[in-house]
Amino acid sequence: MSERLEQVFQGSPRGLTRLVAYVMAGDPSYEMSLRRLRGLAASGVDVLELGVPFSDPMADGPIIQAAGERALAGGMTLSKVLRLVREFRREATTPLLLMSYLNPLLRYGWDQFVLDAVESGVDGLILPDLPWREGQALRERTAERVGNRLTFIPMVAQTSEEEDIQALQDEKRGFVYVLSRNGITGGEAEMPAQVRAYIAKLHEMLSLPRCVGFGIQKREQVEVLAGICEGVIVGSALVDRLAHLDAAGLEGEGLRTKEAEVYTWLAGLKA
Amino acid sequence: MEQEQGKLMELIDQETLNDLMAGTRNGTGRFGPFGGAYVPETLVPVLRELEQAYQQAQRDESFQLELGDLLRDYVGRPSLFYEARRLSEALGGAHIYLKREDLNHTGAHKINNTLGQVLLAKRMGKTRVIAETGAGQHGVATATACALFGLSCVIYMGEEDIRRQRLNVLRMRLLGAEVRAVSLGSRTLKDAINEALRDWVAHVDTFYCFGTAAGPHPFPEMVRDFQAVIGRETRKQALAELGRLPDVLVACVGGGSNAIGFFYPFLDDASVRLIGVEAGGTGDEVGRHAATLGLGSPGVLHGAYSYLLQDGDGQIRPTHSVSAGLDYPGVGPEHSLLKETGRAEYVRIGDEDAVKACQVLSRTEGILPALESAHAVAYALKMAPGLSQDKVIVVNLSGRGDKDVETLAEYLEGGTLHE
Repeated sequence: MSERLEQVFQGSPRGLTRLVAYVMAGDPSYEMSLRRLRGLAASGVDVLELGVPFSDPMADGPIIQAAGERALAGGMTLSKVLRLVREFRREATTPLLLMSYLNPLLRYGWDQFVLDAVESGVDGLILPDLPWREGQALRERTAERVGNRLTFIPMVAQTSEEEDIQALQDEKRGFVYVLSRNGITGGEAEMPAQVRAYIAKLHEMLSLPRCVGFGIQKREQVEVLAGICEGVIVGSALVDRLAHLDAAGLEGEGLRTKEAEVYTWLAGLKA
Repeated sequence: MEQEQGKLMELIDQETLNDLMAGTRNGTGRFGPFGGAYVPETLVPVLRELEQAYQQAQRDESFQLELGDLLRDYVGRPSLFYEARRLSEALGGAHIYLKREDLNHTGAHKINNTLGQVLLAKRMGKTRVIAETGAGQHGVATATACALFGLSCVIYMGEEDIRRQRLNVLRMRLLGAEVRAVSLGSRTLKDAINEALRDWVAHVDTFYCFGTAAGPHPFPEMVRDFQAVIGRETRKQALAELGRLPDVLVACVGGGSNAIGFFYPFLDDASVRLIGVEAGGTGDEVGRHAATLGLGSPGVLHGAYSYLLQDGDGQIRPTHSVSAGLDYPGVGPEHSLLKETGRAEYVRIGDEDAVKACQVLSRTEGILPALESAHAVAYALKMAPGLSQDKVIVVNLSGRGDKDVETLAEYLEGGTLHE
């Protein structure tokens, strides 16, 4: 139910930073993904973003590309991603969004996908290769099937023109994914005055909460953003830290300790 | 439309198609259900700017005149319409004519498109151009146009293609372009496009000179229009020399730019059969071919809804072809429509027949075709003997084979090259 998502942003003032954390489903395995989703939920992450691996992720940088390749090599599929969410959902209430390129969803069959996603406990979708206006009819169709139980998260880029942003004026659910800069996921985003002004301006145009993503990895960045957005999205920096633990071949208690350190680092980003 | 959609229903869920189409239903950028612009939000305004600039340029006589002059004085157009007499006699059936795009400056049809696009880039005030390349022909043609107009040029090319098209890499560098090796995925054209798109989304002031009639709108339309000079000339030349239209046009299809440019001016001529030849590689099994239209199904890749080679989970499948320029798991959306409507037929020719066709054309006519174009030649070789002598087949000889000499030698190791 996307009510879980609404509650995250309800009843508290603008400018309070929520933490949205991204991991790739199946990286490095189904079991590890499940454990990490639970670990992140328990460590105070407000919204989880779960990547569906795709062979040709054109909006992603090297870190998430590599995570996707590991997931695919391990046999991850959309069906298994949905099973993973269902299993996670048994004991967790943290809202969860799927981030997926279009093709795996189309191949699964759109109607079946939205039904299965809702049934599994997915709260919303982020579709990096479906521009908002191109997706209008697909959103309407989804609403016919599952009502407002799946929230589509729009993305706004620094290149977005006023008419693109105005197209989001009537949106009331979820949040707007604000791209910190032009480019792909990863790296470290600078937050010059013009970027801050652009994020602040969205506040005047939209009623949706703003979560800023792409290149967020430091507390200082979050501090700069505090007050002008309602959340930050951390993807590559988190995926990279977890991948390093896996690459180091840690196991058992040693791995758990290191994972806990990553979760602490993540929680510390939140101002 | 109704007929083509009826066929599509067997392939994918009709309602999804309708909904996907609705986004741009009233605008341009669609070929039936195919096409669109499935790109990150960042690129939406960038593509819109490109579309508007292109539409203005199309209406601007000075742009058309400048491009026309370049095509004549720099590329050497019109390209020859050549009757392959010895070849036709040897086959004993239909007469084979060759549209000699291999004689263009830089050795392939690609220059028709890159001059158009780079001229547009210049008009838009761009100073940096990027492109992807498979066989290297589009990379060379882009580097050439950038040299001519003094623009900086970066070419993305898969490592596997760099290996098998080494000469073209050297040419690009001589022309002043930077060639960036792509070591991701299959390390071929598909991955080079991914990397070029990633560059573009990070550098939105850059001009992306897309090499084929695929990708997000407006590329399929724009590239087709720049390549349609091939078909327009062919039509004129056939009417002048034969007094009538040809019976069959044959062209190879990777992304499909030479084929769509060749076919487009003939689409309304129902008497002209249009045949696109895809890379059959070494067999119909997964990973052994690049026959997207013949063996694929519709989906979204590189910004457009079109046929592609995918598995049951919607992941893009590996491809193979001896020719780097055809080694691609997608195809331009207009070809997908021509397949669905039945206006064009799509067949496949394997590695071995393509290599043989290189040898046959070299020995009978003294013309060494590119391995890509050799796929079209090979199909004409198969087809001609079954047609009567009053029939005319025109093959689009889209490129010359100098770049493939090493690959051919490697393939023919064991002595057949000298047989």
